Amino acid sequence: MAQISLKALVKRYGDIEAVRAVDLDIADGKITVLVGPSGCGKTTTLRMIAGLESVTSGRILIGERDVTGLEPKDRDLAMVFQNYALYPHMSVADNIAFGLKARNVPRAEIERRVREAADLLDVGSLLKRKPGQLSGGQQQRVAIGRAIVREPAAFLFDEPLSNLDAKLRVEMRTEILRVQRELRGTIIHVTHDQEEAMTLAHRVVVMNRGVLEQIGSPADVYQRPATEFVARFIGSPQMNVLDADDARASLGVAGVGDGAARLGVRPEDVQLAGEVAHDRPAVRFPALVEVVELLGASAILTLRARADRRLRALVSARSLAHVHEGDEPEFAIERDAWHRFAANGARMAT
Amino acid sequence: MIGVWRRALIATAVVVVAFPYAWVTLAAFKDRAALNDPSRLSFTPTLANWREVVEGRVLESALTSLLVGVVTVGIALVVGTLGAYAISRFRSGGAVSRFGILLSQLMPPAVLVVPLFLVAFDLQLRDTMVAVVASHLTFVLPVVTWFLIGFFDGVPREFEEQAMVDGYSRLQAFRRVVLPQVLPGIGAAGIFAFVLSWNDLFYALILAGGNTTTLPVKVASFNTFRGVELGAMSAAILVSVVPVVIACFFVQRRLVRGISGGGLKS
Repeated sequence: MAQISLKALVKRYGDIEAVRAVDLDIADGKITVLVGPSGCGKTTTLRMIAGLESVTSGRILIGERDVTGLEPKDRDLAMVFQNYALYPHMSVADNIAFGLKARNVPRAEIERRVREAADLLDVGSLLKRKPGQLSGGQQQRVAIGRAIVREPAAFLFDEPLSNLDAKLRVEMRTEILRVQRELRGTIIHVTHDQEEAMTLAHRVVVMNRGVLEQIGSPADVYQRPATEFVARFIGSPQMNVLDADDARASLGVAGVGDGAARLGVRPEDVQLAGEVAHDRPAVRFPALVEVVELLGASAILTLRARADRRLRALVSARSLAHVHEGDEPEFAIERDAWHRFAANGARMAT
Repeated sequence: MIGVWRRALIATAVVVVAFPYAWVTLAAFKDRAALNDPSRLSFTPTLANWREVVEGRVLESALTSLLVGVVTVGIALVVGTLGAYAISRFRSGGAVSRFGILLSQLMPPAVLVVPLFLVAFDLQLRDTMVAVVASHLTFVLPVVTWFLIGFFDGVPREFEEQAMVDGYSRLQAFRRVVLPQVLPGIGAAGIFAFVLSWNDLFYALILAGGNTTTLPVKVASFNTFRGVELGAMSAAILVSVVPVVIACFFVQRRLVRGISGGGLKS
C-alpha cells in the first residue's frame, strides 16, 4: 500500500477544463472519498490516476514513483467499475484470477489467493458459476474480490455501489469498511452520494466544477463546510441557505449576519421553540407547517415563515405530537447554529 | 381474419422466393426437349446435365471460388475486426467513418474494375486469384467492418479498461476479453462476407475470365455462342446456390443484428 499524490493535475477536453489544478495527497491505508455532483471531475480524476485518461498537465505519484506517463498495467492499481465489468465468458474463479495471470503468478499461488479472497467476500461457493448466474450483490462482491487478490498499491472504486438497491448498498458499504479494516488498503472511492461519502470516508474530498472545494474528515465537512457549495451538497435534508438581508427581514435574525452575504442553517438546527432553553441566544419566529414527512424516528417539516420564506426543519418524531400540517407554532434557531458565507461562497469565521 | 391474411401473405412470399429454386432444380434434371416446353410437368429425369457439369470443370471452378472466398474472408476479418474496433472505441476517422465506410458501396463496380484491371495487368496478376481476392476486398472489407462496429459497441468499454488496469496491454485486453464477446458477430460477418465473394460475377469475369474462373463465371459460360445451355447451367447454378442457402440458414438471426447494429449507435 502506498500514498498517492496529485500535483497540479489538469484535464482539458478542448476548451472544457474538467479538472483544474488539483493538488491532493491520498493517505496510505485510508479510505478517501471523492464526492460531488455529476460532471464535477471526480471520475475523470480517478481515471487519470488509473491511467485510463491522459493527463493534460500535472503529475501523479504513487509512493515515490512518478506514474504520470505510465500505462495502466504498470501502475499496480486495482479498479472496481460501476457496472463491475465481470467477463461473462469466464467463471467467477477465472474472473478473480484474471489479473494474477497477467503477472505470471504461479498457479498454486493463484488458487490459494482466489480462495482466500472469495472466502473473505463470502463468494467461495460461487467460484464455478458464470457472472450471469449471480445476483447484483454477488457480482459486486466478485468485482471487489478481483481487486483485492491483486494486492495492489491502492484500490480505485468508481461508484461501485450505484447499481445496487438501497438495502444492498448499505450492506455493501459495511462490507467495504470491513474488508478495508482487514486489509488496511488505500482506497479512493468516487461517489455522487453524500451519505455514502460520509459513512465510508476517513477523508472526504468534495469536488465541484473540476475544483476541490474542501478536504476534511466527514465531521469537518459537515460541521464546518468551507464553502456554500459544500454546505448545500453535504447533508440530507439540505442545509437552508438564505440571503442575509432576507434572513433579517423574514426571520428577524440580528447580530449574526454582519458582513455575510448568505446565511445557512442545518434543518436539525431549526427547532421547535419549546425545545430551546429560554436563556439561550436564539432567533424565534412563527412559521406555518406546510408539509410533514415522517421518516420514523424523525420528520422533515417544510415551513413557511414571513414573506413566504421557506425553510426545512428536522425534528424528532416525539416532538411532533403537538404539531400538525397547517399549524403555526414558534420555531427557534440558536445563534451559534448559523453558517456564514461571503459573496464568493467562502465560509466566514464566526 | 388477420391471421388468415397474414398467412396468405407469407405463403405468397414463400412461393415467390421458392419458385426460381424449384424451377432451377427441376431444370437441372430435364433433357433438352423437356426444357423447351416449360408447360410439361412430367418428364424423365436425366443426369446428362450433370455429366456436362463435371466435364465442364464446374467443380474446379467451385474450388477456385472456395479458395478466393476463404482468403478474402480471412483478410477481411483480420483487418475489419481491428478497423471496426478502432471506429467503435476511438471514433477513428471522425463521425463520418461509421457510415462513410459504406460509401464505397455507392460506387458502381464498373468504375473500379478498369483501374484494377490495369494494375493487375501491370503486376502480371491478371487471371490469378490474387487479382480476384483484391477486387473482392473492395466491397467485402467495408461491409465486414461496418457490420462489426455494432458488435463492438455492444461490449462495455470497462471490459478492456478493467483488463488494462489489471496488467494487460490494450492488444492483450482486446484479444482476451473483447474478442470473445464479439465472436458470434465475427462468425456471422465471415459467412456474410463469404457469400458476397462467392456470388460475385462482375470482377471475376473481367479480371480472371481465363483459367482461374470462379463459379459464377463458369455458370455464365454456359451461355455459349450456340445458345444458352439451360440444363447444364441450371445444374451449375444448383452447385453454386446450395452452399449459400445453407450458410444463410445458420446466420440469419445475427445477420439482422449486424445490419441494424452497424449504424444505429453513434
